[in-house]
Amino acid sequence: MTTTTYREAVRTALREALTRDSRTFLMGEDVGRYGGTYACSKGLIDEFGPERVRDAPLSESAFVGAGIGAAMAGMRPIVEIMTVNFSLLALDQIVNNAATLRHMSGGQFSVPLVIRMATGAGRQVAAQHSHSLECWYAHIPGIRVLAPGTLEDARGMLWTALQDPDPVVIFEHAALYNMEGELPDTAGPVDIERAAVRRPGRDVTLIAFGANLHKAMEAARLLAAEKIEAEVIDLRSLRPLDDATIMASVRKTRRAVVIDEAWRTGSLAAEVSARVMEQAFYDLDAPVGRVCTEEVPIPYPKHLEDAALPQPEKIVAAVKAQLGARA
Amino acid sequence: MDELNLVQAVNRALARAMADDPRVVVLGEDVGRDGGVFRATDGLFARFGEDRVIDTPLAELAIAGVAVGMAAQGLRPVAEIQFTGFIYPTIDQLVNHASRLRTRTRGRLACPMVLRSPSGGGIHAPEHHSESPEAMLAHIPGLRVVIPSSPRRAYGLLLAAISDPDPVVFLEPTRLYRAVREPVADDGEALPLDRCFVLREGRDLTFVTWGAMVLETMAAAERLAGRGVEATVIDLATLHPLDHETIVESVRGTGRCVIVHEAPLSGGWGAEVAARLAEHALTALLAPVVRVAGYDTVMPLPRLEAHYMPGVERVLAAAERVLEFA
Repeated sequence: MTTTTYREAVRTALREALTRDSRTFLMGEDVGRYGGTYACSKGLIDEFGPERVRDAPLSESAFVGAGIGAAMAGMRPIVEIMTVNFSLLALDQIVNNAATLRHMSGGQFSVPLVIRMATGAGRQVAAQHSHSLECWYAHIPGIRVLAPGTLEDARGMLWTALQDPDPVVIFEHAALYNMEGELPDTAGPVDIERAAVRRPGRDVTLIAFGANLHKAMEAARLLAAEKIEAEVIDLRSLRPLDDATIMASVRKTRRAVVIDEAWRTGSLAAEVSARVMEQAFYDLDAPVGRVCTEEVPIPYPKHLEDAALPQPEKIVAAVKAQLGARA
Repeated sequence: MDELNLVQAVNRALARAMADDPRVVVLGEDVGRDGGVFRATDGLFARFGEDRVIDTPLAELAIAGVAVGMAAQGLRPVAEIQFTGFIYPTIDQLVNHASRLRTRTRGRLACPMVLRSPSGGGIHAPEHHSESPEAMLAHIPGLRVVIPSSPRRAYGLLLAAISDPDPVVFLEPTRLYRAVREPVADDGEALPLDRCFVLREGRDLTFVTWGAMVLETMAAAERLAGRGVEATVIDLATLHPLDHETIVESVRGTGRCVIVHEAPLSGGWGAEVAARLAEHALTALLAPVVRVAGYDTVMPLPRLEAHYMPGVERVLAAAERVLEFA
């Protein structure tokens, strides 16, 4: 076992990809000489050179478009968008080109592209740097969407994503980069299909992903002190969703709370809630709860930002509301 | 009273708003001399001149950005994006500027703009011309999303959108542009935003739908009525903010709900409606809420388009499923 960080796990994954496949290159704003805004690619330009660790101009539409072109022409690019907030400028490329080219070309072209981006709030970077728009991408046919919430997944999802013949978007929650933990020396590629049960329990199912997985785990610890055993599911793949793992848990616990850092209305939590109702209606003992972000631009002051975001205490309160309800 | 189709009603509302309010300006690709790709702005250039009907370059980001600036400085811009497939370059402007100008400036500036765009499939258009991205736009706090489903509602809701003090995305179902005619009084009367329209009332089942799918859903309700099943049909009209009180109240009465939309199922707006029902009406439900939606695939080319779009048969099959539950 090695003690490491999420950031170091991402960097190890990038190094592995660049080492194992000569078609792979990393491209994005400040990924080269500066080492990445979140220091994920620090040192890689020295190891692999500026041809394979490419600094891009501040133009998301242009360099995502270039990545799509490279993927169509046989490369296996990894494009880093500094944060999901700036991916709005690349949305046209992702939705209209990356996601549709296999279809539009009748299968002549595929786009084996991986786009990594930081997401999420909690670091006092205010209204234009704190979005969580995973649900948008999870609505787009033609792309796969992943959210590594653990060191193993930060380390292991990238290589598997690069083997996918179609575009994959990986969301790294910025609050996770400093997370420390143990990683086995044998850690490597992981599956990108299934959700994972991170904590078994019998009384309620907490469904989360990314950094909010850890808030759900903390809520589960708080609940355990009151003899309420929460099962915690880490979605891992946001598109497609692993319905089987979700429903197996909800059928057992009969209650579900979905935690999603997106604005509540139109969130991925809504999709999960709708599916639980469609597929496990008769197993539910209480309405499906959602703990999401308040529908405001993310505030700058710490106390207001904390108030806007999902927190373990809010999850605990949602669970208690569930246990008080009887269908 | 003239019988108008939906695109004529849009045209009539634009002309009326421009005549009544000198601050209203129209801008977009080919909206001026050409009269618009679907003729929505036909005649406006001749009547109101090039200062108020502005042909723009092919640059959606710029169209949205200029509209934000105009609105912040006191005009009432109505921008047109030719198809929702081209709306993505505007999204940074909509999310980071239009939707939050009021909060960021603590009310010193507002953004009373309308972004109109034809939306949805069913007109045998190629890729990028048939998508329904309303769920993405409706997720944004501060952005109103309105979809009319008849000529009268197009006229009244567009007038309301133009006079609203905050930004509105107005998505016009392309398939309905010339599908239906009805008498539309050019009386300058707006219809209420943020309210659903109950198009039909019945006690057995609630359909929730919007846009072009209102046609299929009403046809399905008629067929059900033929065998004694009475359905309520709710047209959301304003998707965001969502008038969930009307929906919840109806479902509390009927106990059954089918949501019909054209966009792909996963992450579509139907999920939000279903989640609200799960939160607010679970104990009143006699059957699971069922969604009838487009498939989770890229919008197909014309040959498969009819298969992709939820038709009357799929709506009826969903109704049968929820009615089976005793």
